[in-house]
Amino acid sequence: MFGSTSLRVAALYTALFALSVVALGVITLFSMRQALSAQFDARIRSESAALVQEYRAEGLRGVIDAIHEHDSTPGALDFGLQGPGGRPLAGRLAAARTSTGWSRLRDGPREGESIRLYAVALPDGYRLMVGDEEERVEALDGAVVRGFGLAFAGVVILGVVGGYALNRDVHRRLAAISGTAEAIIDGDLARRVPVRGSDDDLDRLALTFNRMLDRIAGLMESLRQVSSDVAHDLRTPLTRLRQRLETGLADPQDRDSALEGALGDLDSILDTFAALLRIAQIESGARRAAFRPCDLASLAQTVAEAFAPSAEDNHQSLSLIAEGAVLVDGDVELLTQMLVNLVENALRHAGPAARITITVARLGRAPVLSVTDDGPGVPEAERDRVFDRFYRLEHSRSTPGSGLGLALVAAVAKLHGAEVALLAAEPGLEARVTFPEAAS
Amino acid sequence: MKLLIVEDDREAASYLKRSLSEAGHAVDYAAAGRDGLMLAAAEPYDVIILDRMLPEIDGLAILRTIRASGVKTPVLLLTALGGIDDRVEGLEAGADDYLVKPFAFAELQARVNALARRPPTQDLRAELVVADLKLNLLKRTVTRGGRRIELQPREFQILEYLLRHAGRVVTRTMLLESVWDFHFDPKTNIVETHMSRLRGKVDRGHGRELIHTVRGAGYVLREPD
Repeated sequence: MFGSTSLRVAALYTALFALSVVALGVITLFSMRQALSAQFDARIRSESAALVQEYRAEGLRGVIDAIHEHDSTPGALDFGLQGPGGRPLAGRLAAARTSTGWSRLRDGPREGESIRLYAVALPDGYRLMVGDEEERVEALDGAVVRGFGLAFAGVVILGVVGGYALNRDVHRRLAAISGTAEAIIDGDLARRVPVRGSDDDLDRLALTFNRMLDRIAGLMESLRQVSSDVAHDLRTPLTRLRQRLETGLADPQDRDSALEGALGDLDSILDTFAALLRIAQIESGARRAAFRPCDLASLAQTVAEAFAPSAEDNHQSLSLIAEGAVLVDGDVELLTQMLVNLVENALRHAGPAARITITVARLGRAPVLSVTDDGPGVPEAERDRVFDRFYRLEHSRSTPGSGLGLALVAAVAKLHGAEVALLAAEPGLEARVTFPEAAS
Repeated sequence: MKLLIVEDDREAASYLKRSLSEAGHAVDYAAAGRDGLMLAAAEPYDVIILDRMLPEIDGLAILRTIRASGVKTPVLLLTALGGIDDRVEGLEAGADDYLVKPFAFAELQARVNALARRPPTQDLRAELVVADLKLNLLKRTVTRGGRRIELQPREFQILEYLLRHAGRVVTRTMLLESVWDFHFDPKTNIVETHMSRLRGKVDRGHGRELIHTVRGAGYVLREPD
């Protein structure tokens, strides 16, 4: 029962309120008793003062008459008059044995009553006593105790009922959250916590919880994507590798060429694997922390120099158009690899005698890096899809390549906040990477 | 040479040990980081081949410990993590070179040889000479048999690298890293293309070839026998 936080809080508050009602009751009781006692004492004093006055004015006779008159009035105080030597003369208290001043008389004139009593000495050895039932104060105690008892019961009932209601509401909403978590543990990843729209703390918790779930679902999706990609495009070369090894085992004469082919297959599998891991690493965004200003022009210069001889050997040409430094904030190694992939893509697909141009420029204030060729280009309908992992145009399936080159380009561009697009170059194709405008 | 392999994968380690022994090296092997640490501190090795990910003690922790204790033996770090951060971390911890798994044995051997014979101090020679080939680093000129050879800047860099490692195998990856600063493997045969041009200029028309292809491994520049 006390496993519930809200119930525990409600119980604590109820107990606190009940305790303060009790404390208030006790304080009230005592201060009321004190006030009443003082009032009763004052009444006894004034009555005795009046009788002393009577004695002075009317003598002994007058006092005895006054006592008799009081005794016959209901609700009046008790009186007593003693002669010299304690001889009882008049009144209900005449037999009491007591000294002068305040005292308490256990056995009063009525059975089982105690009396608060005040005695004064009159001239000539006479003694006058005035008293009142102590129960008169105690009778009022009962009323106070009853009142506070009712208040106490009210607080407890309100606390229990309110606590129960509050607990039921909080409990229901927390149960919705933990129910969602349980459902997700059981595999229903699409479940989300219901949101009330009241914008209170539990509602905000539900919203945060849902956002976290969305994020996890996104990560799961990209993980699933990678593993299905791996399964999809590693199976084919692995099967080929297996066939080669089988051929080599079956026919000892082909063994050397089979082993050599197998090594080649293995290298291309490792390349694909490395590219996938690299794309996944880039997409995680971890490398953004190491961004520094990089000069696209000098980077393009290095790449153009490195690839120009290979292009020439293919009877293609590779040239660079760049005027001065163009700085972007980024990762040099990744940007270099991005440009290399674009250049290699052009070398491979633009065909013999193609002219390939790397251009580094600014479009307005945005740095632009593009690779243009005058080859056959890419049909417009497929220009976006070539950036998907493992997507390859029908006619390029026979050429070597993992189908990951442009996916890596897209990942690097996205990491740098850049836009990458394939455009028709009339004739040919332009792959253009547009970086965000420089801040300064 | 006396080598130490610290590697927890027994199969990979025994393959490395066998191959390196066949190549004429004395090879010690430790499967656990703690043993590797003790051996590295106790024995004078020429090169330590250290796996980065080991059970118990991490390879980098071992590296820092042996460097802190004053051991200056060259360390080649083997790692499955090839990102810039991982390489920087490895080099900063005191590694002299790193090799990303999986690698060809020829690559490992070339790098071990390069590490073992790395000159202890900065190479301050102004002229690198092998047979009748001379490369002047100050004038940036190359001559073969007294005749001037005109090279492109990258070709000059490749030749300089080959001359500095004369007699030792230089792999494709080593050239990509040192000449172009490419830490990935382009699909295009740019190394082969540049190398064939360089050989055309340096070796063609001269009786004896200096640059040789080592099949499956890379290139070597050496004196003719």
